[in-house]
Amino acid sequence: MLNINFLFYANFAIFSIFAAMILTELMGSILLLLNWKKYRGPVLEYVVPVWEITGTFGAFWVVTADFAYPPILIPVASIFSFAIMVFLILFVARNSTISFAEFIRKRGWLDERKLYVGYALSSIFLGLVLLVILSGIIGGNGVNLSAFRFSSLNWLYLPSGYLFIVGALLLIVGFAPVFYRVPSLSKLSLLFVAFGIIVSTLSFAMFRNWTLSPYVLVSDVIAILIPVLYNVNNVAAIVSNKIVFISLLSVDIFSLNFMVYPTAFGGVLRVDSITNTGLLESSFIVLTVVGSIIVVALIALYAIAVARKVKEPSSIRF
Amino acid sequence: MSVETFDRALFAFTIGSHIIIVSVSISIILFITILEGLFLFRREHRYSELIYRLKRVFVISFGVGTASGIVMAVELVNLFPGFMTLVSETGAINLFYAEVFAFFLETIVLVVYVYFEGAYKWKYSNLVFSSLILLGTLLSAVFITLVNAWMNTPNGFNISVYEATGKVTGVSPWAPFLTSSGFSEVVHVTTTTVFAGVMVWCAYFSYKYLRERDSANKILYGVMVKITSISSIVAIILAGVTGSGEMSTLLSNQQLKYAALDANYFPGTNVPERLFGSLVNGLFVGGIQIPGLQSLLATVETGIKVLPGLSQFPSADWPPLWVHTTFDIMVTGGLLLGLFLFILFILFLTKRNLLKYRWLLWTQVAAGLSALVVYEIGWVTDEVGRQPWIVYNVMTVSKAANYSSGQLAPGYFIIAFYLVLIPATFYFYDRIFHTIPESSLHNRKRGVEH
Repeated sequence: MLNINFLFYANFAIFSIFAAMILTELMGSILLLLNWKKYRGPVLEYVVPVWEITGTFGAFWVVTADFAYPPILIPVASIFSFAIMVFLILFVARNSTISFAEFIRKRGWLDERKLYVGYALSSIFLGLVLLVILSGIIGGNGVNLSAFRFSSLNWLYLPSGYLFIVGALLLIVGFAPVFYRVPSLSKLSLLFVAFGIIVSTLSFAMFRNWTLSPYVLVSDVIAILIPVLYNVNNVAAIVSNKIVFISLLSVDIFSLNFMVYPTAFGGVLRVDSITNTGLLESSFIVLTVVGSIIVVALIALYAIAVARKVKEPSSIRF
Repeated sequence: MSVETFDRALFAFTIGSHIIIVSVSISIILFITILEGLFLFRREHRYSELIYRLKRVFVISFGVGTASGIVMAVELVNLFPGFMTLVSETGAINLFYAEVFAFFLETIVLVVYVYFEGAYKWKYSNLVFSSLILLGTLLSAVFITLVNAWMNTPNGFNISVYEATGKVTGVSPWAPFLTSSGFSEVVHVTTTTVFAGVMVWCAYFSYKYLRERDSANKILYGVMVKITSISSIVAIILAGVTGSGEMSTLLSNQQLKYAALDANYFPGTNVPERLFGSLVNGLFVGGIQIPGLQSLLATVETGIKVLPGLSQFPSADWPPLWVHTTFDIMVTGGLLLGLFLFILFILFLTKRNLLKYRWLLWTQVAAGLSALVVYEIGWVTDEVGRQPWIVYNVMTVSKAANYSSGQLAPGYFIIAFYLVLIPATFYFYDRIFHTIPESSLHNRKRGVEH
């Protein structure tokens, strides 16, 4: 009988959506820092309503991870305690700056632009911290699982960690013109994504002692298709559609589940051995089904509102 | 300071800050919903204007509240991983999971309500959306309070086997939704949270009314003073009734905590109610004693005649006895606030215009700030009263804590950050409430002109 670790896949699917959403915010953050005047309009039009939902998916992922892997909570809390606390500080900074920025009017030194720059910087650093944690979970970089310790020196010693971060940054920069529809950068987008794929795949291979699953091609193909299609006139609008793009990126990230399953932390930890089972798993399924129905209905409510495009003029100012 | 003490202090500080934002947020969305109802039936400009302003304040409150809520959720894992491991192995994790869906309800409806107003043409859509957001915030509060209730009265697994072996067995995944203290705690925490929030806003609007010179703004503040005053009166009645129920539940389920709160050293009948007093050699002496009152209240509410005393329990399990003082401050503060609101209620009944009494408005300002202090002290009493346990009679805080020193430096930074963030948030509330260049557009869309 096929034995599927439902909790793992559910948790990873939620992570994929959260990661896709936070990546789109990072794309916007980079554009805002590059040219505030030029990109303010398209970036804020998307980010301002959606940042609240991104945070909710983050909470969703954290709680399902607590649910799925209770035996690993103590080691993870000890190993990543510093990184987690830094992540929290950046998360509060991100939320507070963007919510303040949304309605601020210039008075004194503080204005909308400074607050959005604060939001962009905190989001980018938050993404970097998350990538460091992920490199530890995937490849065990800097992690001593038995001693519950993280060593920054060990992390720096292994090139797979920073190649992973560089690859992700190249992909973020490459995807940004597609997601925020900047046709003048479409060729550059293709170049950045291609380099991003090469560097990321290299880091994946290094995480796995140079043995790489052929499944990585699924992710690579989806990733390269996005800027390629954006350069084709007839389909550019489809691929840069927000819902289509986030869906593609979520599938892309989900296809990388082999990086942490069946083993994580550089092959040291078998995920099945730490996953919740029994009655708790069944209650998780019940709550997931009921909750998903509610969330799907709410997203439909949101999608209809977006489709009608009746935005309150005051909510976004250009 | 030991790492364990640091864990306690950091989490206490975080949650102490978080509940201020939560309390204020719930009350804003409550006011918005009331105003939506009023606008629907009266279609007056002043209601539309207030909705416009408060919606923006709520977005800020939501943004900061969400962040601090997530900080709290992650801190639970990071600072008390032993506790979260137990939670994740029992059905208590279902409460966190259910809370996430309440959070989704709140978030997505908020986005539609604030950023896409007018997308739904149905006459009642704004009222329905604001009510759904209110429901989402209340459900979030309910589920997180149920977690706290589970910490006070754990169930849903074989506790004796866990104590003997450290293994979680006999899991009943849905039991934590129905703990013996769940209902009384949920209704009391929810009503006191709303009460503290509406009192804070009442203080704010009273102060602004007193200081404002612009007549248009003064009218708006006057409306809000009335709405917040009426809400305060309703909330304190509910808080008082549910508080009494909470003590009865405590007497039935957590006798040691009850004995500590009421400073009963020996068990007995005909026990007096001791108000305040001094802690001398580990015992409370002096203070005001009302003979037989404690026993009378307990017998009337629970039928229990013999009240518990600290001497029945090992002293190692006692909470710090100063919780008796914080408990008395909370109860006395609540009674004084109740007395003030009773006067307010009489003024309402006699159809007096509250806005004409400057002394009353200044008292509202003081009462609002006091309500927040009483609320915080109430929370301290509840949490410290459970010490040394994180899960009552199952797991101590020291067993649950994270002893890694990695969180120390960023932890201090979090404290410093919150010390800036909370005042900054209130500053922005005020600033945003006054910055209204596009409100006329909003009002026109709603079919009202100034």
